[in-house]
Amino acid sequence: MRKATTSRPGSRHRAAMRRQGIAFGMIRGFSFMTIALLGLILGFILWKGFRYSNIDRSTLLPHAEASPDGLVLAVHGDQDMPGIDWEELYGMYTDEYINWSKLDQSDFDLVPVAVDPLTEDGARVEAFLFGSEAEGGFPLWGGLVEYAGSAEAALKVVAERQGAVTIVPAAAAKAFPGIKTVPVRRLAIAMNQDATEFVDESYLEDLTAQNIRDLLGGRITNWKKLGGPDLSVVPMAPPMGSALAAEAGRAGLTYPRPTVPQPATDMASYLADIAGTSGAVGVAYAGDATLAGIPLAWMTRVKTGWNLTLRYLLEPPRLSGKTGGISSIIANTFFMLLLTLAFAAPLGVAAAVYLVEYARQGKLLKLLRLGTETLAGIPSIIFGLFGFLFFVNILHFGFGLLSGSLTLTLMILPTIIRTSEEAMKSVPRSLREGSLALGATKLQTIFRVVIPASSPGILTGLILAIGRAVGETAALLFTMGSDYNMARGLFSSARGLSAHVYLLFAEGISFDKAFSTATVLVVVVLLFNFAAKRVIGRMHRQAAA
Amino acid sequence: MQQSPPKFSISDLNLWYGTSQALKDITVDIEERSVTALIGPSGCGKSTFLRTLNRLNDLISSVRVEGSVLYEGADIYAPDTDVIDLRKRVGMVFQKPNPFPMSLYDNIAYGPRVHGIRDKATLDDIVERSLVQAALFDEVKDRLQTSALGLSGGQQQRLCIARVLAVEPDVVLMDEPTSALDPISTAKIENLLEELKKQYTIVIVTHNMQQAGRVSDKTAYFFLGELVEYAGTKELFFNPRDKRTENYISGRFG
Repeated sequence: MRKATTSRPGSRHRAAMRRQGIAFGMIRGFSFMTIALLGLILGFILWKGFRYSNIDRSTLLPHAEASPDGLVLAVHGDQDMPGIDWEELYGMYTDEYINWSKLDQSDFDLVPVAVDPLTEDGARVEAFLFGSEAEGGFPLWGGLVEYAGSAEAALKVVAERQGAVTIVPAAAAKAFPGIKTVPVRRLAIAMNQDATEFVDESYLEDLTAQNIRDLLGGRITNWKKLGGPDLSVVPMAPPMGSALAAEAGRAGLTYPRPTVPQPATDMASYLADIAGTSGAVGVAYAGDATLAGIPLAWMTRVKTGWNLTLRYLLEPPRLSGKTGGISSIIANTFFMLLLTLAFAAPLGVAAAVYLVEYARQGKLLKLLRLGTETLAGIPSIIFGLFGFLFFVNILHFGFGLLSGSLTLTLMILPTIIRTSEEAMKSVPRSLREGSLALGATKLQTIFRVVIPASSPGILTGLILAIGRAVGETAALLFTMGSDYNMARGLFSSARGLSAHVYLLFAEGISFDKAFSTATVLVVVVLLFNFAAKRVIGRMHRQAAA
Repeated sequence: MQQSPPKFSISDLNLWYGTSQALKDITVDIEERSVTALIGPSGCGKSTFLRTLNRLNDLISSVRVEGSVLYEGADIYAPDTDVIDLRKRVGMVFQKPNPFPMSLYDNIAYGPRVHGIRDKATLDDIVERSLVQAALFDEVKDRLQTSALGLSGGQQQRLCIARVLAVEPDVVLMDEPTSALDPISTAKIENLLEELKKQYTIVIVTHNMQQAGRVSDKTAYFFLGELVEYAGTKELFFNPRDKRTENYISGRFG
């Protein structure tokens, strides 16, 4: 109506233009959104794959002391270890660890070396490790510990043997060749037992760095604020001039003026004060507090670092993939793909040749096409079940590369057949006639003209199929098994990249490793696509130039 | 015209595509070392006829052939005929240039190679000789290893002729070889025919009556699957005996 009254020459044209503009904008918007989404997904996976960023839950403050109590922890010079937690250090000398895999993911046996506790240096180490236990005469040295006569002798063992570790006075380790010292994290926040009571099913929250500063600084005055009981916070300062006070200072902790009438002047009464004062909180060495039975506050902090390193690519996995790398898994993936291609490519191309060049067009062919199309749409898990029954059980191939590859072959054959068929169909009839008219046989024509001319299409199909094969997980778990070691033969159980990602994630082994493996998987697929593009591009150029 | 026995001797040839008859009682002799032109309106069966001479119609499953086609006295539709050998001796050039997507060299060497010639020096000789014969050598001698698809249409068609000549045929069938080409390329190919007929028997299908007049020694006029008239080219053009031929060449239909 309005249009009729206000219409001027050209206004309809302008409206049409505007509509077209809106449509254009929407189309452009959607396409940009798709690209952005793709970028987001790829970027997220790559970022998570290369950098880990975890919320780490620990009772230790992040500060690591280079030479706690004038002692240093020495390891072999090649050991890659930026720092160690008190529990780990303690565990090394009490048989909790027998190798380094859980400590720094290397594969060496752990050899804890201690200076003979009867010497002066040795006694210092014993006191450092076992505290009041040592004073009471019951230090729990582990059975693995090797004793050396002196600090130098202990360091010599460590310098010569990767995997050995020792604790010696800092002066002895200074400039000693072939070793490296590792700083120790041992500061914890000790609380009075009362602060850890359950109140209405709620419990003290994990503390952040800010919470700790506020607690010790008197800015949080009631435990209720942190989810604890309704109890006043009593911050305690470590004894003036003690090693603990100095270390706490280096860790960046500060205290207000003492809030208790008589601040402790020695470590024993300081700990006794925390244990005995309702609502008390203070910094303490984790070992001392644990021995004294004082609860420690849980803290969370964000830990970041490199996730996907060269080492990860070059080392075999250990401990179900929790540590170590994925070298054997990458190798298995390539074995699997090569074997699958070796089966599927000739079979698929041959089937396509039959369908295009030989089969009589009719009902049977239609049925055959329907069959391939249906097979292409069947969920891979079904192929897995079939492969398990047929290859693994009936043919007795067992879980292994062969069963897995044959299952994958069945899975990707329909794709290869369909794409190869289309590619061959698109070869002009004139080329076939040209070849036949020169006296070539049908077979010669197929091998020398039809297949070369359709090879870009066939290759594209193969690449697509490989993409599907490399991403296959479930069907392979049923047929190829899940051994993460390098396959030793056709019947050897093996694990590919995607199965590794799945198992790392599903069995809760390591979320970070799952992402770094996923990144490798993505890169492998991208490489395949890139290589295919190059090959196909070169073929087109050769054909066109 | 030398009086040698005919190259092809066709008698009572009938051909059906399924139920529709495409060729009706064709009887004709094709002479050696001459150019025979087949003319007629679209769908009259001239291409079909051409393809019976090297049995390329065999590729179509619904085709049925009756009658006899004698090539040098032997029936090529006899069960013991070696079709490969026949096609080697009766080469064919198609309407649209159809070079294979490979290098010029490989295109020409294709025929000899499928017939078992492996020796590099021999292949080099064949390629050069064939290109010279097809009047293409000078234009492409520096780019034998580049893709054949990079040539112009006329060059591609001459390449296809060279490719046929490389298998040393006896007869060359040409199915409207210049219909997709420009006049200059067409002229080059027509000149080539003049040279080639000294050595080969040529049968050419064409829609272009001037072309038939220029290049052929004898002309056959096809209409609705029948061979209406077959005579020396001049005679057929200037003195047609059949009314239908006259109508066609005078442009009344077609």
